[in-house]
Amino acid sequence: MSDIAAASWREALPGKTPAILAAEIRKGLATQLAHPLGHVISLVVGMTMYLGLQFVLGQGELRADLLPPTLVAIGAYWFLQYSALVMVSDLVEEKRSGTFAQSLMSPAPPWTLMTGRLLTASIFGLTVAAAASVVPAVVAGVSIPWEPAAIVPYLLLLANVLAFTYALAAIAIRSAMVGALQSLFTALILLLNGAFLPLSLYPGWLATVARFLPTTLGIEAVNKALFGKLTLAQLWTTGALPWLIAHTAALTVLGGVLFVRNHRRAVRDGHLGQYQ
Amino acid sequence: MNTPAIDITNLSKTYGPTGAPAVDDVSLAIQPGTVFGFLGPNGAGKTTTIKIAAGLLTATSGGVRLNGFDVRTRRAAAMSQLGAVLEGSRNVYWTLSAWQNLVYFGRLKGMRKAAARSRAADLLTELDLWDRRHEKVGGFSRGMQQKVAIAAALVADPPVVLLDEPTLGLDVAATRTVKNWIATLSADQGKTILLTTHQLDMVEELCDRVAVIRDGRVIADQPTTELLSRFRRRDTYEIRVEGGPDQLPLLPGGFTAVRDGDGTTITGDVADPQQVYALVDRLRERRVVLRSLTQVQPGLEDVFMTLMKEPRHV
Repeated sequence: MSDIAAASWREALPGKTPAILAAEIRKGLATQLAHPLGHVISLVVGMTMYLGLQFVLGQGELRADLLPPTLVAIGAYWFLQYSALVMVSDLVEEKRSGTFAQSLMSPAPPWTLMTGRLLTASIFGLTVAAAASVVPAVVAGVSIPWEPAAIVPYLLLLANVLAFTYALAAIAIRSAMVGALQSLFTALILLLNGAFLPLSLYPGWLATVARFLPTTLGIEAVNKALFGKLTLAQLWTTGALPWLIAHTAALTVLGGVLFVRNHRRAVRDGHLGQYQ
Repeated sequence: MNTPAIDITNLSKTYGPTGAPAVDDVSLAIQPGTVFGFLGPNGAGKTTTIKIAAGLLTATSGGVRLNGFDVRTRRAAAMSQLGAVLEGSRNVYWTLSAWQNLVYFGRLKGMRKAAARSRAADLLTELDLWDRRHEKVGGFSRGMQQKVAIAAALVADPPVVLLDEPTLGLDVAATRTVKNWIATLSADQGKTILLTTHQLDMVEELCDRVAVIRDGRVIADQPTTELLSRFRRRDTYEIRVEGGPDQLPLLPGGFTAVRDGDGTTITGDVADPQQVYALVDRLRERRVVLRSLTQVQPGLEDVFMTLMKEPRHV
């Protein structure tokens, strides 16, 4: 960003940022909840498929040793799915309808609006992820143990997902074709992040590939804390935490760089308002 | 002279390294309270200019100031001056209600919640949408949706309003509503309005000043009345008579006759009205019954079409 552009944003609405963020969150949630039945159906179908698959993999039973670790993974998948819905699908739709351009005519800088989207994605994604994890747990009669050491890796897991969806949103600023990328990654993540089988049951090479995808390292770290009873120090020394931090940091940098680059290009080429 | 509400200075925009300029050295100074018609054929550079003024596109050179604030270097202050309805866009969220849209866009402009709600209530009442304020905009008629879009642009009470084809796709009644509202915004609220439209009768009726852009360059920029009078060097007369063209005497140069129902319309561009009187005398000699004689003033549409055919000039 140029110095001039940076200076022009410094004067932007000091003190009004929280109100703008709140407005953005309220709008984002209202938009999503305009058609709640679609989300409910999607969740019911998804949870039924998940439980059905676990039943098949458990050879006719929901196994207490297999199910709990996959619950963290399926929750992470739903968090990613709904974060991407807010961050990417909504953005593409808003660009097509022109409301994205309208929102950019605010005195607020674009990253304030994007932060509002991230917060909306967090709230909505967490709500859906909680439902998608808790309902199958109740149905299957399994419980997830409470371990304070899991909080840090869990927060990093959420950050990992949000950084990834932010990077996708940055691509969406320039190209509507991001939808294909979004579908590809969400499908790969569902298959490989451990939502169906714990990663330990995968072939070594496939587990390595899976660890490059968003959510996988976070799910592993959370599961090690919850079910392996590892402390934060042990998570660090085993490498689970450093790799998760590095992966999340890399995705965050990627998202930031893509956003700055694509926003600048979109303003230069006239793609900021609508796709051409 | 006041600081122009919209000050466009030597604005140029070229897409890509080798593209032709979409906007080429455009300068316009639009005074506060003016309704400014910005006309041109499709692809002339109107929307590019508006997007730059709205901060959605960077200029290759030159710039735009809104009430003295440079859109590039004082963006936040400039955007606080501005409301806009963009061409070909919904502009508002169809999944949200009119009320939710107006409050949201008000908050986005930095308004306090109470102020945004109060202003939204005033606008929705003014537009006869108060009773339907909680219905989703997607369920409204096209005209009502456009009313909400204009209301959203106005919710923060901006002094400068950009309206890019605001009546596109609207029926006659909705167009009239929008037109009346534009007149009110300028006359009663002193807003500066930059209006692009292909409805030239609306421009002629509403705009204090008109600029015409072609191939990215401004080829005319004058008060509407001056622009119209500039093309009144020759007068057009229309003579309507009974009967077909076969009964007419030989018409002098510059006159043409066209059958018009059971009569004939003779039209002529003449520099000297005496030519018309002479023709009327000859019609009387042939006992052709005169129905009417009208001096036709060139409308903005005639001016526009003439300008499109002329070589570049200002």
